[in-house]
Amino acid sequence: MNGSGLAPETRTHLIRSCERIVGPEGVISAPDELRVYECDALTFYHRVMPDLVVLPTSTQQVADVVRLCREAGVPFLPRGAGTGLSGGATPDAGGVMIVLTRMNRILDIDVPSRLATVEAGFINLWLTNAVKRHGLFYAPDPASQQACSIGGNVAENAGGPHCLKYGVTTNHVLGATVVLPDGEVRQLGGKIQDRPGYDLLGVFVGSEGTLGICTEVTVRLLPQPEAVKTLLAVFRTIEEASNAVSGIIARGIIPVAMEMLDREIIKAVEANVKAGYPLDAGAVLLIELDGPRAEIEAEAVGVEATCREHGCIELRVARTDEERALLWKGRKEAAGSVGRITHHYYLQDAVVPRSKLPKILREIGEIGGRYGLIIANVFHAGDGNIHPLICFDLTTPGDLDRAIAAGSEIMKRCIEAGGSVSGEHGIGHEKRDYLPLMYSPADLAAMLRVRAVFDPAGLCNPGKIFPADRPEGHGDRNLQSPAMTAVSDR
Amino acid sequence: MPVATSLTDGLHAIVGADGVFTGPALAEYRLGPATPHAVVFPRDESEVSRLLRLAWEEGLAVVPWGSGGHQSLGYPPSRYDLALNLRRLNRVLEYEPADMTATAQAGIRLADLQRHLESGRQFLPLDPPLASQATLGGILGGNLSGPLRCRYGTARDLVLGIRVAHADGTITKGGAKVVKNVTGYDITKLYLGSHGTLGVILEATFRVYPRPPAEQAWWLSTPELEAAHALAIRILGSHLAPSRVELLDGPAGRACGSPAQGPALFVSIAGVPEAIRAQANDLARMAGEFGSVTTEDPAAPRTWAGLSDFPWLNAERNGKGHGAIWRGGVLPSDCARGMRAIHEASSEWADTAMAASVAHGIVRGTFRAETPEALARSLAASREVLAALGGFLVVLDAPAPVRAQVDVWGPPLDGVGVMQRLKAAFDAKGILNPGRFVGGI
Repeated sequence: MNGSGLAPETRTHLIRSCERIVGPEGVISAPDELRVYECDALTFYHRVMPDLVVLPTSTQQVADVVRLCREAGVPFLPRGAGTGLSGGATPDAGGVMIVLTRMNRILDIDVPSRLATVEAGFINLWLTNAVKRHGLFYAPDPASQQACSIGGNVAENAGGPHCLKYGVTTNHVLGATVVLPDGEVRQLGGKIQDRPGYDLLGVFVGSEGTLGICTEVTVRLLPQPEAVKTLLAVFRTIEEASNAVSGIIARGIIPVAMEMLDREIIKAVEANVKAGYPLDAGAVLLIELDGPRAEIEAEAVGVEATCREHGCIELRVARTDEERALLWKGRKEAAGSVGRITHHYYLQDAVVPRSKLPKILREIGEIGGRYGLIIANVFHAGDGNIHPLICFDLTTPGDLDRAIAAGSEIMKRCIEAGGSVSGEHGIGHEKRDYLPLMYSPADLAAMLRVRAVFDPAGLCNPGKIFPADRPEGHGDRNLQSPAMTAVSDR
Repeated sequence: MPVATSLTDGLHAIVGADGVFTGPALAEYRLGPATPHAVVFPRDESEVSRLLRLAWEEGLAVVPWGSGGHQSLGYPPSRYDLALNLRRLNRVLEYEPADMTATAQAGIRLADLQRHLESGRQFLPLDPPLASQATLGGILGGNLSGPLRCRYGTARDLVLGIRVAHADGTITKGGAKVVKNVTGYDITKLYLGSHGTLGVILEATFRVYPRPPAEQAWWLSTPELEAAHALAIRILGSHLAPSRVELLDGPAGRACGSPAQGPALFVSIAGVPEAIRAQANDLARMAGEFGSVTTEDPAAPRTWAGLSDFPWLNAERNGKGHGAIWRGGVLPSDCARGMRAIHEASSEWADTAMAASVAHGIVRGTFRAETPEALARSLAASREVLAALGGFLVVLDAPAPVRAQVDVWGPPLDGVGVMQRLKAAFDAKGILNPGRFVGGI
């Protein structure tokens, strides 16, 4: 679908002008080539082709393209590697897509201050590879880290398995060069911390490309830990495994990762990659500790004891890097293995307080039963960040609708449990109608005021995050009315 | 100034007669030349909302107030009608040790909050200056931090969600009560460090951490500041996991309990005792490489508090008559260079004491001088040398004649126009702490 309704002469004008800005090789306008950009990694939900794709190579080019769009009144949106899972990097209705993959250089690595500055299209994993020889690493490690870009990570405030201890993208980004929706280039934050002023960088991270386009990012690097210890604990039930997670935290231990795989995922993983998980297990809990050697040796004793207290039937400890890689292999291949048990799946993302994990997992099981769908679970248990994979078959009439309805029920249950409808995938296009379940109209109006300050014309990635029935940039209209003084639900 | 009866009546109707102070009690709420007409003590968020609604309708300027310990920060308000004292909003609302999260009201004192979290053997790892009196709302509004940020980060890393009363009394929330959350804008970040200019923080949900089973600290002294700094960079790039790494010049070291006369590095390490022992050995070996003398600190908790409070409380008070305290930022690798440059730039006019949290490149210090002019010159010259390193300097407290000569926030930074538009969008009538923040916000 090509939905913007751009007049042909406007489109031609934009193509010519973009070619002048970035060179002809940096503009894609042929329909068969544009098809590559009709969706991100949310593939079945929302497909819309951009009117054209521009691949700039500098901040100045991005600013020039943005100004061009603004003058023409044409919507535009940024895109990194297109690995996002909520449709945030798919146009709402055509427009110009600004793809940052050609901006993929390291600009600076400052070893003594442990900082790196890279262009937005730089791939997440490249960064850790580039600084390894200095004994450093970049902590956020989303599952797509071999492909996803740092700029996309900033847009989605990406997480990953290891953020239980280290935090998510927002905790590691210190500065960004940003092209605002009016085409102005601004430096938000920077290498030097605590400059006085509002934390514009803080609100920019996780704004899903709706407040501007970041072109350069400065991140904090961490020293590699002295030692890493990876344990795999097998449980009869997911309930016992969840209780073990809470037990470990209650002991004052914060592993660097605690990842859980349920029975369905274990089946799929074993059929695919043979990670050596026992097929009769109800849940597998992967626990990783890192830090000073003596610290994690002491913690490992506590972790083992806690797992056994909660009915763990088997405990393996990786003794070598190869063994560690094997224990992780099943986790890393989990989503990719689900093809062994289903034709299609809808990957969800939500968060509950850690202590509510057993309850929400029980409810997900019930929901799956009611809709006649298998729901497999692989998730960041330490954070309470669940990833139900709702299995369905696109060729079975009504199956997709049932999967979406089941996903919607899961979202509602997570909110009831005091949680959130997205831990790391973002709202994008997919979940914009869920946002009012978490936030009152006044809460959303405050966010829309921020949007209106950054993007008064509403041209920067429109149709994302906020519910479709709310006209963009008109939050103030509601906010000033007496009705908005109502206290939002706690 | 007598308070208009109708306003007093309006305030009494909201918070009761015992919730409004006027008269001599207002002296301690004075900011620069301005004294408010009244100070109000709401009991809950709905009273805060109604007070703000009244202020909004009447166009009254409101200064949110916690313990008042850091009110010297910023410009004096351009208008000042009401001080909004939040100390009666002082409850812990939720605490779930297994989730490592807690929710508390803004007026709670950090010390009381920490006592509450003791029940779960956890704590909120924030150690701002004047922590014994500081309130949660004040700490978040000022984004205050201390040496512990080396390990745990700042409020922006710890706060998960927030409830705020806006200028018109509307109450909204941002974030959630879970540790990971990407739902709409992370608007919570805007309020942290906004000095009450965008909204009044009512409550916050934050991550808490387990209290480490043990902690030990050392003074590592070297003849030259540069060697101590190089040692700090070495430690921070190593596998050691220190809680605090503070670089102090001689006067700051002496004020904070260093056994040496000259520059020193203060390092603390927390964890299980066997891990501390192992790291202590590595630390001593590294220190040896830099020719440093290592002394274990015997009075650790008291020393920690002293370092957090420096230079607010324990900088040397004797000597010259006028004092100012300040805070600046440089690259972590530039801490020693910045401190030496400040010393050289100011020594002609003032006595100096300085400390740096090396991991984040935050330098703080004090000047004492014979005259306000000398103080102002010291601050201006120091700001200039930090700017040459790409850094900045903010004046935290100084006498009025100094403030008249030196802009406490310094030159405007990139994005100040966006900030001014945000202020206008959130507080169109300019009633929240008007005129106190950067760019006249």
